[in-house]
Amino acid sequence: MSRRDIAAVLSFSIVAMFFIFGALMIHPFGAPDETGMDDNIITNAQTETGANNAVTSVVFDYRGFDTLGEATILFTAVAAVIMIFRRLNK
Amino acid sequence: MILEAIHIILPILIVAAAAFAVLTKDLIAAAIAVAAMSLLLSLEFYILQAPDVAIAEAGVGACLTTAILVIAIKATKRMEEEA
Amino acid sequence: MSGMSKIVKTISSITFPLITIYGLYVIAHGHLTPGGGFQGGAIVASGCAMMLVSYGSIWIVSRVKEKNLSILESLGAVCFILLALLGLGFGAVFFNNFLVGTNSLFGVVPAAGSGLADINTGGVIPLMNFAVGLKVIAGLFGIVLVMAHASRTKGEKK
Repeated sequence: MSRRDIAAVLSFSIVAMFFIFGALMIHPFGAPDETGMDDNIITNAQTETGANNAVTSVVFDYRGFDTLGEATILFTAVAAVIMIFRRLNK
Repeated sequence: MILEAIHIILPILIVAAAAFAVLTKDLIAAAIAVAAMSLLLSLEFYILQAPDVAIAEAGVGACLTTAILVIAIKATKRMEEEA
Repeated sequence: MSGMSKIVKTISSITFPLITIYGLYVIAHGHLTPGGGFQGGAIVASGCAMMLVSYGSIWIVSRVKEKNLSILESLGAVCFILLALLGLGFGAVFFNNFLVGTNSLFGVVPAAGSGLADINTGGVIPLMNFAVGLKVIAGLFGIVLVMAHASRTKGEKK
């Protein structure tokens, strides 16, 4: 058993320990923590944004900056891929 | 009762598909296994009542990722080589 | 990447309009039902990728130019940011929903607690869905098209 195998086993067990303790300490399924934000959004989303789908009203209205970041990521990825492969398409 | 059974069976199938994708030497079979894993994962999202994530996962994970992987495998070699 | 057999081409031609209509439905009803711009765009791009795989990239490239897809993607991004800036102009803040409550296009507010699926609601959310949907369709299909067309000679050689 080489030094590389020992390092792999050690790092794997440390990461697995983190995951197992994280899974043990998670709060119970279907009973989220008490926050005021989600109740506020569920109560007011339909009258404030006019959309029946509360998830879309969060994604495009309350948290529009997240969608802007996602659009930026997609734009950057597409620009990079097209820039790389454009030379091969000639 | 049946929902709990599905909640137990689906993650086992997901892990099995992921393990098959890692262990097999045929890269086309690995790409199909990743697609199956994405489809099962979207089913899991659906029964966890997150249909938005399920639609996105089924569209991107099961179709577009598989298309990109198959195109890349077609441009290189199909069988994995021993390092 | 060359095309596949005639059976695959026929089945793809039949199912491609259905997939496209379903994806456009998911985009247009993003503020009423689960889904939205990204999800519907991914569905439409999946249908386009199916056509690409069955007909081959040379047939597709003779009809759809990758330059036009790039322009469409940039147009979607510009529309999205422009709608957000209009919120800054008409309302108070960036991403303000300035159309809601005006009873104009998409401006009707549904009664609180109602599950009424009226499409003429939502303010700027449907317009943003269209912009993001256009961006995702053009972007994801552009990626797949460019990659498939770059690997065409290698695939035909075998």
